[in-house]
Amino acid sequence: MPRKAVIREITEETHDTKTFTFDFIDSGPRGLEFVAGQFAMISILGYGEAAISIASDPDDRSGLDLTVREVGAVTGALFRLREGDEVGIRGPYGNGWPLTQAEGKRLLLISGGCGCGTLRPVILSHKNNPRRFRYVEVLHGARTPGDVIYRKDYEETWRDIPDTRVLLSVDKVPAGETWSHSVGVVTTLFDEMETEPEGSIVLMCGPEIMMKFSVLGLLKRGFSPDQIFCSMERRMRCGVGLCGHCQLGSKYVCRDGPVFSYAELEKLPDHIVRGG
Amino acid sequence: MTPKLLERSRLDDLVSILSNDYQVFGPVARKADVSFQEVSSAEMLDLNYTTTTLPPKKFFHLRETLLEYREGEFNAPELDLERSILLFGVHPCDLNAILRMDRLLSKEFVDLYYLRRRENSAIVALNCTEVGENCFCASLGTGPAIDKGFDLLLTDLGDSYLVEVGTLRGQRMIEDLNLEDASQADLRKKEELLEAARAKFKKSIRMEGLAEVAAESPDHEVWTLIGESGGLAGCFPCLSCGNCSLVCPTCYCYEVADIPDITLRAGVRRRELDSCQLLEYAKVAMGHNFRPDRKSRVRHWMTCKFGGAGGGLESSCVGCGRCIHSCPAHIDLTEVAKALWGE
Repeated sequence: MPRKAVIREITEETHDTKTFTFDFIDSGPRGLEFVAGQFAMISILGYGEAAISIASDPDDRSGLDLTVREVGAVTGALFRLREGDEVGIRGPYGNGWPLTQAEGKRLLLISGGCGCGTLRPVILSHKNNPRRFRYVEVLHGARTPGDVIYRKDYEETWRDIPDTRVLLSVDKVPAGETWSHSVGVVTTLFDEMETEPEGSIVLMCGPEIMMKFSVLGLLKRGFSPDQIFCSMERRMRCGVGLCGHCQLGSKYVCRDGPVFSYAELEKLPDHIVRGG
Repeated sequence: MTPKLLERSRLDDLVSILSNDYQVFGPVARKADVSFQEVSSAEMLDLNYTTTTLPPKKFFHLRETLLEYREGEFNAPELDLERSILLFGVHPCDLNAILRMDRLLSKEFVDLYYLRRRENSAIVALNCTEVGENCFCASLGTGPAIDKGFDLLLTDLGDSYLVEVGTLRGQRMIEDLNLEDASQADLRKKEELLEAARAKFKKSIRMEGLAEVAAESPDHEVWTLIGESGGLAGCFPCLSCGNCSLVCPTCYCYEVADIPDITLRAGVRRRELDSCQLLEYAKVAMGHNFRPDRKSRVRHWMTCKFGGAGGGLESSCVGCGRCIHSCPAHIDLTEVAKALWGE
């Protein structure tokens, strides 16, 4: 059963992406207890449910942030709602990022498009717990400057977190838009990247084709398959390992994932992250 | 409890006693097939059946209303189960499939709807002394006999049925019939008949280790044969019709959808059995499909039936042969296994 939540705030990220901040309004706590990298099922009556990565600070239980791109029936319906409107939310589900394993290490975060929603909790956790990770380097790519979500955070706030480096890239800059960062797919940032394989963990989310080329680039630079973690997307209906839709071979993305090490992914069928 | 003997002529007494406490469903011969239907007398039963078109999962896991909503309010409706049901004449393969589904749907997250329906049911199983042309349970250990999961177990000895009791509830079912104890000769006859049945199977499968072989062979030629070109033991390429999932007693995947009523202010959220063979199964927003081709879909289904998908052994094959019978492309799972083994 979903819990009832009300939209407290809507933040426009880009032309097709918004961050919704929810407060649960049932008798339970207003926020959710979750770990970075988990997801929630958002429910709009009459439209259905959709799996969305949780984008809030894991230490802040006063509400719940979901960054959503308008792509389907449920997200379309969500985009027509306003602050104060009600939705249903259940979760959290999934395993989350291996942050315990990453403590004291260097973190390399690679994201593309909307994929940084699931990495935002990691950045916020790093911001609030300065000594948790030794160093965090963020590589984020988008299609155009107008598609960069959390752009203000990247350019103004997160860049200035101690022991943090933010590198941004877009595929192209349409005429009339300004852009002071790199141009090219996200892997072009690898040349500027400082993170070395030794003592580091890579967290990655984005389209599979992006993850495929990122993994290839990292392997070439000496990273090993078991230090690279990818967050996978699949059709999800239940979120709890029952309905079957998200199966990747012998794994359920909702229950055994959504985060898999590349060492695990290499052995699983029906995805293209495993590069040839 | 000592096994009992029920004369064939008294089968109706048993059905009639069961009907007092249960809504009884059993195999009923129709025009072209046999189907589990409600029965009120033994006359209606076809206990010589080899297989039904749909497995008994249709009573437990077909479709369910998960949520009712109206004007922004929602609640989970109580399952309205008026009477307990009893499935009469369930074959060992199907009963094994039910037991697997019981385990699959009550792991970390429990499927309360399914369990509630299961708890509301009783089972009179029937060992197989006849074998269907597509059956291969004997090679899987899921038939032709079973020793668990039933309230009562029948074996057709000819003039009478051997009745074995599995539960206290089963014991009560036959209390009033005052059945005589079966003799050692009757028990021997049961074993002889089952042994004779085992010799009748035309199909078999080598399952141990097959999941690993399938998982390690994503590019095996057999997937192209059944998914694209046809030609495995005379089969056509898969039509992605989903028949195999629908008739499979261990296929459990379901889809969830909101169905608004005509006012659009109220409606239900329902789930319904789905099939990984259907194009939409792995489709996500913006039209991307993680298994866009028949080859990858049929590979996933076969791997699942070999125990190598998310359901593990609980969703693996029990050898009922329904998928072979129902496949319009004549794809035969036992032939797929042979090809993977290189036989």
